[in-house]
Parts: sequence; C-alpha cells; structure tokens
Amino acid sequence: MSIDLTFIGQIVVFLTLLALLKKYLYGPLHDLMEQRAAKIAEGLAAADAGKEAKAKAEAEIARQLQEARGKAQEILTAAEKRAAAIEEEITNKARVEAQQIVDSAREEVQAELNRARQQLRQEVADIALLAAERILDEELDAKRHAKLIDKVVSQEIGHA
Amino acid sequence: MAQEAHSGGIAEHLQYWTYKFDESNPFMQIHLDTMLTTILVAAGLVLFAKWLGKRLTDGVPSGAQNFMESVIGFVDDTVKDNFPTHNPLIAPLALTIFVFIFLCNTLDILPAFLAHHIAGLFGLEHYRQVPTNDLNLPAAMAVCVFLLAIYYEMKLKPAHFIKELLFQPFAALLLGSKNPVVKLLGVALIPLNLVLKLVEEVAKPLSLSFRLFGNMFAGEVIFLLIAFLLLGGGAVGMVAGFFVGLGWSAFHMFIGLLQAFIFMILTVVYLSIAHQPAEH
Repeated sequence: MSIDLTFIGQIVVFLTLLALLKKYLYGPLHDLMEQRAAKIAEGLAAADAGKEAKAKAEAEIARQLQEARGKAQEILTAAEKRAAAIEEEITNKARVEAQQIVDSAREEVQAELNRARQQLRQEVADIALLAAERILDEELDAKRHAKLIDKVVSQEIGHA
Repeated sequence: MAQEAHSGGIAEHLQYWTYKFDESNPFMQIHLDTMLTTILVAAGLVLFAKWLGKRLTDGVPSGAQNFMESVIGFVDDTVKDNFPTHNPLIAPLALTIFVFIFLCNTLDILPAFLAHHIAGLFGLEHYRQVPTNDLNLPAAMAVCVFLLAIYYEMKLKPAHFIKELLFQPFAALLLGSKNPVVKLLGVALIPLNLVLKLVEEVAKPLSLSFRLFGNMFAGEVIFLLIAFLLLGGGAVGMVAGFFVGLGWSAFHMFIGLLQAFIFMILTVVYLSIAHQPAEH
C-alpha cells in the first residue's frame, strides 16, 4: 500500500499502452468512423440532391403540360374562329351569287319580253295591214294608211 | 480457509508479491504482481487492437468492431462535450484510461483467492490480482494526467497560469485597490495565494488516484470479509457466503465500471480546464 518503484513501472506501462492504443486501436477506428460518417453524409446529400432534381423535373413537366394545354386551347379557338369566318364568307358569296343569278334571269326575261313584244307588234301590224289591205285593197293606198294603222296599233299594244 | 484464518487474517491477503532491491529503503521495491497483471492486460489490449485492426471494414460493422466503435463513439462524445478546442491526444488518452481501468477493475470478478492459490502453485507467497488495488497504478495515471494538465497550462497560457498561481483568490485586493495599504496587503497575500492554489492543484491528482484506489481496495476488503466471516461458518455460512459474494461481485463490477468512467471524465475535465482560453 506504499508508493514505490511500481509507481515508475506503472507510468511506463500506462504511457506505453497509451501510445500503442492510440496507434493501433483509436487511430484506425476513429479514421474509419470519420470516413464512414463522411460517406453517409455524402450519401444523404446525394439523396437530397436527387430528390430536389426529381421535384424540379416534375415541376418542369407540369409547366410544359400546362403550356401545351394552353397552346392546344389557343389553336382550337383560332380554328373555330376561322371556321366561322369561312362559313360567313361562303354564305355571303352564295347569297350574292344567287342575287346575281336572279337579276340576270330577270333581265333576260325582260329582254325576252321586250323582244316578244316587238315581234308581236310587228306581227300585229303586219296582220292589221294585211287585213286592212284586203279590206281596202281597191281603194286605199297601203302607204297612205300605214301611218294611221301603225299609230292605232301602237296605241292598242301600249294598252295591252 | 481455516489455516489462512490463523496465519494472519485479512492483512495477510493484502500483501503484494514484492521484490526488494534495498531492504532499508521502502521505495526501492517493486510489486511484481501488479506489474505482471498490468503488462498482461496491456498486452492483451494491444493484441486485441492488432487483431481487430486486420479485420476492420468501413462498411457495416459487426461484432467486436461494432462494440469498439460504440466505445470510441462514447469516449469521443464525452471529450467533444467537455472540450473547447480540438486536441488529438485527449480522446485516445480518455479511451486508454477508461478501457484499461475497466479491465483491471473487472479482474475482481475472479474469486478473491484464485490468483493467490495459482501463484501458490508456483511457490509464491502473495499475489494480488486486481492492480487498481495497488495505489501505485492509480497514482501513476493520475500523475501523468496532472503533468499533462500542467504542461498544457504552461504551453497554452503561461502568463495567465502564473498569474492565477500568484494572485488567486485574493487578486481583487492586490490589483483593484488604489489604497496603498490595501495594495500592500494584497502583495503580502501572494505567498498565501500560492499555497492555496498549489493545494488546489495537487488535490486533483490526489483525489483522482485515491478515489479509484479507495473504491477498489474497499471492494477487495469486503470480499475478504465475506470470505472470512461467512465461508468459515459451516454449510449455512458457505451457502450464504456464496450468494452474498455473488451479490457483492455484481455490485462491485458496477462500481468498477463507474470508477473507470469517473477517472476518464475527470481526466477530460482537468485537461479541458487547462485548455480553456484565458479570460483576460
């Protein structure tokens, strides 16, 4: 129970053990644990980065989808508008054409009517002249009375 | 048991296997049992470390590596919690102290007379199996820690350390006052300061070593008392002694772990005080 040379011996043993354990036990294990900690931290950081990248990609996808949807809607609206415009144009054109057709038909009818009237007048004049010629063949000069007959006929036709 | 009881009682079992270089000088002797046991424990630790070093993996640890990693993690955390700065020596020091003292303390789980009887086969009269029972071991470690703390104090903040030695705890009288009489009194108190501070410093290794030694020695004495009082008392005494001894063994193992931890944490604390940055 006394302090003696054992004390010196114990100091030697203790310091030797300290040096050896630092070199062979603590050193390698501590390095190893730090390496592993670094590795785990790295792995976690990589996982975080991956998650972030995924979130970013998802956001990008959503954005592009939205954009595409908007564009499709736009195209659809434009097409509808265009279709409506074309329809109206065609309708207008058809209406104008129909009017033209009707107008030209009416003009033709008028012209035909005029021509027929002209012909009829001519024929009636001829017939009247013929009849009058026959009636007044002997005494009446055709040339003297043609003027009078013509006047009467034109009066009559104008009334008809 | 009987022949041991009349050949000197408990004190007989508290003798060391001693080799005396000089009969007249009590310092010139060496406890061969303490030396042998500690060298064996230390060698075992180093061999274990080398064996473990060969099969270290930085993947998923298992078995012995896992266990040692948790011990080192625990020691590292303790050091990190207490230390203001990083010093690469502190954690291995704390680990060595903890593991070494714990193993030495754990030798107490062997029956109290086992080593004694084995040594008897080789013709030795005495063999103390638990080296922490020998004041030399705790004292050696405590002095190492003490010298290390002094070394760091002198290395990191010599001026502050010497100022503390001379002016604490009566510094206010010496430095703060304009009154020449009080100032003179302060100067006169320097030797007293020095003595108080030295006592304070020396008390650290003393308490550190005696705490461990006292606990382990008392545990040993109680084992011996159980043996002498109960095991000698016939069949009932044998049975009772067995169970009481078993109970005390369990408790003493706990004390051994606790003392190893206390020694380690006080070492860290003393060294961290030395590492605290100077306040002024």
